[in-house]
Amino acid sequence: MTAAVMTDRPAAYTPPVHYKLSAAGLLRSEWTKLWSLRSTWIVLLCAVVFSAGLGALIASSVPSDQALGGAGAALDFSMAGIALASVFVAVLGILTVTGEYSTGSIRSTMSAAPKRVPVLWAKAAVYGAVVAVLFGVMVFLTFFMTQAIFSGTDLGGVSLADEGVLRALLGYAAMIVYLALLALGIGSILRNSAGSIGFYIGVIMILPQLATLLPWNWVAEVTPYAPGNVPNTLLLVDPTGANLSVGESWLWMGIWLVVTYGLAGVLLKRRDV
Amino acid sequence: MIEIEHLTKRYGKKTAVDDLTFTVKPGVVTGFLGPNGAGKSTTMRAIVGLDAPTSGLARVNGRHYSEFRSPLTEVGALLEAKSVHAGRSAYKHLLALARTHGIPKRRVTEVIDLVGLHEVAGKRVGGFSLGMGQRLGIAVALLGDPAVLILDEPVNGLDPDGVKWIRLLLKGLAAEGRTVFLSSHLMSELAQTAEHLVVIGQGRLLADTTVDAFVSGNGQARVRVVSPDAARLAESLAGPGISVASPERGVLEVTGTEAAVVGQTAAAHGLVLHELRTDRGSLEDAFMQLTADAVEYRQTSEGANR
Ligand SMILES: Nc1ncnc2c1ncn2[C@@H]1O[C@H](COP(=O)(O)OP(=O)(O)OP(=O)(O)O)[C@@H](O)[C@H]1O
Ligand SMILES: [Mg+2]
Repeated sequence: MTAAVMTDRPAAYTPPVHYKLSAAGLLRSEWTKLWSLRSTWIVLLCAVVFSAGLGALIASSVPSDQALGGAGAALDFSMAGIALASVFVAVLGILTVTGEYSTGSIRSTMSAAPKRVPVLWAKAAVYGAVVAVLFGVMVFLTFFMTQAIFSGTDLGGVSLADEGVLRALLGYAAMIVYLALLALGIGSILRNSAGSIGFYIGVIMILPQLATLLPWNWVAEVTPYAPGNVPNTLLLVDPTGANLSVGESWLWMGIWLVVTYGLAGVLLKRRDV
Repeated sequence: MIEIEHLTKRYGKKTAVDDLTFTVKPGVVTGFLGPNGAGKSTTMRAIVGLDAPTSGLARVNGRHYSEFRSPLTEVGALLEAKSVHAGRSAYKHLLALARTHGIPKRRVTEVIDLVGLHEVAGKRVGGFSLGMGQRLGIAVALLGDPAVLILDEPVNGLDPDGVKWIRLLLKGLAAEGRTVFLSSHLMSELAQTAEHLVVIGQGRLLADTTVDAFVSGNGQARVRVVSPDAARLAESLAGPGISVASPERGVLEVTGTEAAVVGQTAAAHGLVLHELRTDRGSLEDAFMQLTADAVEYRQTSEGANR
């Protein structure tokens, strides 16, 4: 009887068993996605050219009869381009998420990984790692290049061995990774390219600067804790007297990332794709 | 097997899907039919977990989609809107998806060849035609060689060759024991592919039946008569429940009775017949009749209301 019933229908189909969704797979997938877009190459190339080019340009235009205000100022000049490059890096971080929403590819992505949140981790990990490696290299490249320019003049250069210089250089690299991750998280929360870029530039970059002009004292007290300001201490060769200590700076970077990614994760789970 | 149980989805005040319950069985192609805005795409998005139901359940093989360890081998989905980044090539799009599951490159090229995108696989998807985009969507659905296929209007934008190809492909996949669920608002299209039908209107279930039963149950049979004595035949046929129309001279279309009755009437009155035939109600008619009250977006121009 059972046999007769079973022949009624085609045999049950068994899908391939060796294909499995995995964290490593998600990382590789995000890697493929990142590098298969022309915009990634263009924006990162811009970031690299600006960080090195602007550093070199500024370094060579410092009047050589003028004394540099110590190692701190020397670094400020050389790293001016890195600060600008961080804007490119942040915008690309936003686009890696919002680009998926605006084109609809997020539906493919989330049907392949329906738990959703691991996709956010994978995106952040891949992009954060790419930015860390790229700007780890760029910071030192720019440093050596600009110091070579300085050392040919009366200004003299600073050396990696000088106190605080290495830490400040790593601080620049850390800042750019932090801003990249922050921007990616904002993109995941807001989902919209224009909105996220506007929010990043307006609220993260410009608002804390404007806030210092406001007449209230408490504003001046909180601005150092604004998400865009917390990495500032890390960039200083001599952090004594800064609003935040080096430790606090790291702590607050961590807090803002946890807040951003916590919110992004919850929203990602709850909202329809 | 797809099980939809009391599925309701509201977007704000708009109820897109309203207490929908049905099952899609493996081994046959099941068509999902409904007028524009009926809630087909919404139901399909709920099955693959993209839209969370307001209440009720959508399960695949007894489980919620997000519980699967390899979602792409369980369900392959082609969703209505383009789900590809315009700046990426077809190959890279498929490769990125394949990598999440450790699916080899070999399988990626295999599905590209299968859907006939071989020559344009390296081109950016932004430049694809509607039909090419649709083929890419089908390739995505097939990538994991899944047990369940969910296709939202797969023939949309395909050329006649492509339509024929996908029809055979889907039937073949169902014959292997897979579950194949495809939506359309073209009844005639589904009739040639699907065996089973789920019809919805305004988010509610209207019919869950086989294609054959659907047509005979809903379409009204019409008897077509060609006769030199058409006028006299029309007079003798007249009766309660019977309507006679004459689309052209010498031709009658009779509804509300059977060909045998028409033939007998003609014989009894000694009228000559040149042709006597039953037109089974077309599928489109059956569909229109069923969904007449459930059509949401109706054009207002008179000519369009047939
Ligand atoms: N994300 C959304 N937000 C708000 N309303 C929505 C959303 N998605 C669908 N709707 C509404 O839900 C209803 C059902 O839409 P759905 O796309 O599921 O219909 P459909 O049967 O696929 O129609 P079509 O045949 O035109 O593709 C429509 O009235 C639509 O406007
Ligand atoms: Mg639809």
